[in-house]
This record gives sequence, C-alpha cells and structure tokens, in this order.
Amino acid sequence: MIDAALQRFIAGAATLGLHYDFLLSGGEVRSWLAGMAMTLLLVVLAIPLSLLAGTAFAAALTSGRPWLAGPVRAYVELTRNTPTLVQLMFAFFALNMLLSRALGGAAHNPFSPVFWVVAVTGLHVAAFHAEALRGGIEAVPAPLVEAAQATGFSGLEILRYVTLPLALRTALPALVNNLVNLVKLTTIGSAIAVNEVTYASIMIWTQRDNVLELMIVILLFFGLINLTVSRIGRAVERRLAVPGYGVGYGV
Amino acid sequence: MSAAALPARGPLRAAWPWLAAACGAGLLGLLLDARLTRDLLDWLPYLASGFVMNVVISVLAMTLGTLGGVVLGAMELSAARLVRAPAVAYVQVFRNAPHLVLIFATTYIFPFEIVVAGNYLPFPDWLKAVLGLAIPAAAYVAEIARGAILSVPTTQWDAAKGIGLSRGQTLRWIILPQCLRRALPPWMNLAASITMSTALASLVGVHELLHAATDASTAVRRDDFTVAIYLTVLLAFFLFCYPISRLTRRLERRLATR
Repeated sequence: MIDAALQRFIAGAATLGLHYDFLLSGGEVRSWLAGMAMTLLLVVLAIPLSLLAGTAFAAALTSGRPWLAGPVRAYVELTRNTPTLVQLMFAFFALNMLLSRALGGAAHNPFSPVFWVVAVTGLHVAAFHAEALRGGIEAVPAPLVEAAQATGFSGLEILRYVTLPLALRTALPALVNNLVNLVKLTTIGSAIAVNEVTYASIMIWTQRDNVLELMIVILLFFGLINLTVSRIGRAVERRLAVPGYGVGYGV
Repeated sequence: MSAAALPARGPLRAAWPWLAAACGAGLLGLLLDARLTRDLLDWLPYLASGFVMNVVISVLAMTLGTLGGVVLGAMELSAARLVRAPAVAYVQVFRNAPHLVLIFATTYIFPFEIVVAGNYLPFPDWLKAVLGLAIPAAAYVAEIARGAILSVPTTQWDAAKGIGLSRGQTLRWIILPQCLRRALPPWMNLAASITMSTALASLVGVHELLHAATDASTAVRRDDFTVAIYLTVLLAFFLFCYPISRLTRRLERRLATR
C-alpha cells in the first residue's frame, strides 16, 4: 500500500523532472530520517535551554547590580554581534580542544559535537531572549513594582510573581521570532559533522546529484517545524492574554 | 521595532569595563608571547583578504536583496490577488528557510559557468553565496517595506487620490519618502545579520574570513594559535557589526520618541 503510493509519487515527480528514486533505497532513507530526527532533537534541547538562560540573563540585566549586569551585558553584545558559526567553531575547535587537553585526551572528554551545537545555538538565542524580556520587565509600570515592594515582596519574588509574568506577555512575539531563528540556526551543526538533516542530505546528494529534490523537502521540513513553533507561540499568547493588558498590540 | 526592545543606556555603559578588561587581557597575553604575536601578524594579511570577501558578499547580497525585496513588498500590498499571492508565498517560504540551506542550494544547483551569447562566463562560488543570501534578504526586506508602507496612515492615500494622483504616483511621491525613514533601522539590523551570515559561505569553500582562519589554524597547528585565530575572527566581526548595531539603536530611539 505504502510502497505503491511511493512508486506513484516517484513516477509522478519524474514527469516533473525530479528524481526521488533514492526513497527506494532503504539505507539512504534511514540515514535521512535519522538526520531529521537529529534536527528535531537539537531543536527540542536548544529551545528550553535558550528560554531558561534568556530568563536568567534578563534577571541579571535588570538586577541593578553592576557586577552582575555588566558581564551579562558584555556577553549579550558580543554574541549578538558575531556570527553563530564562528562562535560554534571557536567553541568546538578552541574550547573543546582545550577541554580535551585538560581532561587528558579526547577520549575522556564527555562533551560531544551535539552538546556544543545545543549550547552555542541555545546560548546565542538566549541573548536575544534576554533583550526582549529585559524590555518587557522595564516596561512594567513602576507603581506596580512599588506596590509589590510595599506588600513585602523581595526582589526575586517581584521578578517571579510580578514583572516576569507581565514581561513574558509583552515579549512573546519576539521570543517566538527568536525561536524560529533558533530552529534555522541548528543547521550550522553540519559544520562540525553533527548528522542533522542538512548534513544527512549532503551525504545523499554527493552520491546522487539530486540537490533540488532534497532541497524542496528540507525547506518543507523547516517550514513545518517553524509553523508548529509559531502556532504554539500564538496559542500560548492567547492563553496568557490578560484582558485589558494589551501592551504593544495595535496601540 | 517597539520601544521595549531598546536597551537603556545605563546597562550598556556597565558592559564597557568588562569588554575593555577582556581586550586588555588578550593584548597582554599577546605581548607576553612573542611567537604567537609574530604568527598572528604573519597571517593577518591573509585574514584581511578573507574579510574583504565577507564585506563584498554582504554588500552585493544586501543590494540585490533590497532591490528584490522592495518590489516584493509592494507586490504584497497589491489589490490584485494574482500579484499578491506569489510575493506572500515567496516571503513565507524564504523567511523560514535556514540561510545555510539556501547557500548550499545556490552553490550546488547553479552551474559553475553560464553561457551568455556564446561566451562561457565563470560563475564562481562566492557569487553563488551572494545569491544564496540575497534570496532570504529579499524576503526580509519585503516584510520591512510592507510594514513601512502600512505604517503610513491610509488617509494619506485617500488624500492623494483626492488630488488626482494614481496609486503608483502616490507610492512614489507621498508614501515612500516617509517609509524610508521608518525602514532604515530594521534594514540596518538586517544588513548586520546578513554580514554575519556571510561566514556560512566558508562551508561551501568560499575564501572568506572564517575559511582563512581555518586554513591558518591547520597550517600552524598550535593550540594557542588556534584559540587566538578564532578570537581574532570573532573580534573582526564584532568590530564591524557593533557600530552598525549602536547606530541602529540610536536611530530607533530617535524615531521612538516621536
């Protein structure tokens, strides 16, 4: 049943001049699906990391303590103004190498290329999250914060229960935008031989010379992931909407 | 860009001592290690020739992307669905596409030479990378242009119609001059972002900064040199993109207070 449908698809695509016959070769299909699974894994790991780190960075930036805000601000500026690929190369070829030396050989180094891709892309996007959240935190009306202080909330409690929940609502569209970028950024993993979908596709098209065919599927694949991310973002936005607190929407 | 995205001046100032300390420590390390300094200086012209390529790719990609994007943005606002639909589809597809995938696509799909009137013209990889980055740039510019055009009150369109201007004339003489000011900050953000994406061209073998650094690192094969050379690459991009980003923020702040 599935085989027949596949045959019909391949024949149909061939009339358009597209050659999808690699879909009949089990090994190539398996490695391609493994690539897609790896991309999904990178996305699923990097998104929570970026959100957690972004929140922590935003808290540091708005803490009012220069020794905390200063280094984080320097990190945010550095990471926003340098290419993620160069950061990954630096992390993998310089930091990872130094780490291997320190631990006595690459065999003792527990950090895999996958770890570095997740860490670099996640922390890169965290800097963008931090900026969006910081803007939201600073946009919270001062009387609200003062009221919380008067009620006896500590600084951290104000962040947790007052400013961050409101900032999250203001920043959500920007956060979703950053997450879409994060999904696209995971492709740089192919530079250090992480077998994600781009890397797996390169392996196939160097054998088969069917770049266009694979490219169409890759673009659809990323389109689908990003559609899902934006859909979830919009659903969260609707769920969290506070009646009457429409900051930035249609104002 | 909402006002909420603007960083306050205070925190930025707080970052300076730390950035300065990091640079100072790096310089001190260099001074203490004469061999590393000499090797870095030896490779500096090679790195610089690479960075020129980054700038060339980014300027050409932004030029092509801006030309294409403005047309697409205007198409997105057309009253005719036949004109609107392809532009909307283009923007949707290529805004969601990873830049690296597009660079791979243009590199492998286009031939290495093209025939123009019987002459074989070479089609080098760096030019393909330009196209690979111009494709998403056009999609982003289309959105910037559309947003800028929509930000002008529709009553101005009506008023222009009232004095007998056509849709095209209204766009050219009334709306566009106002749009340009509004579109400038996001356009500059995009220019910085595309410049940073030019590093991706190293993965398809274009001789640019990151590629040059990898060459140097494999040639010298010393740990301290590898660390230093990648730091140099980071610094070069930072020195290029940070002023753009500061200028953008200043423009945003000025427009936001209006």
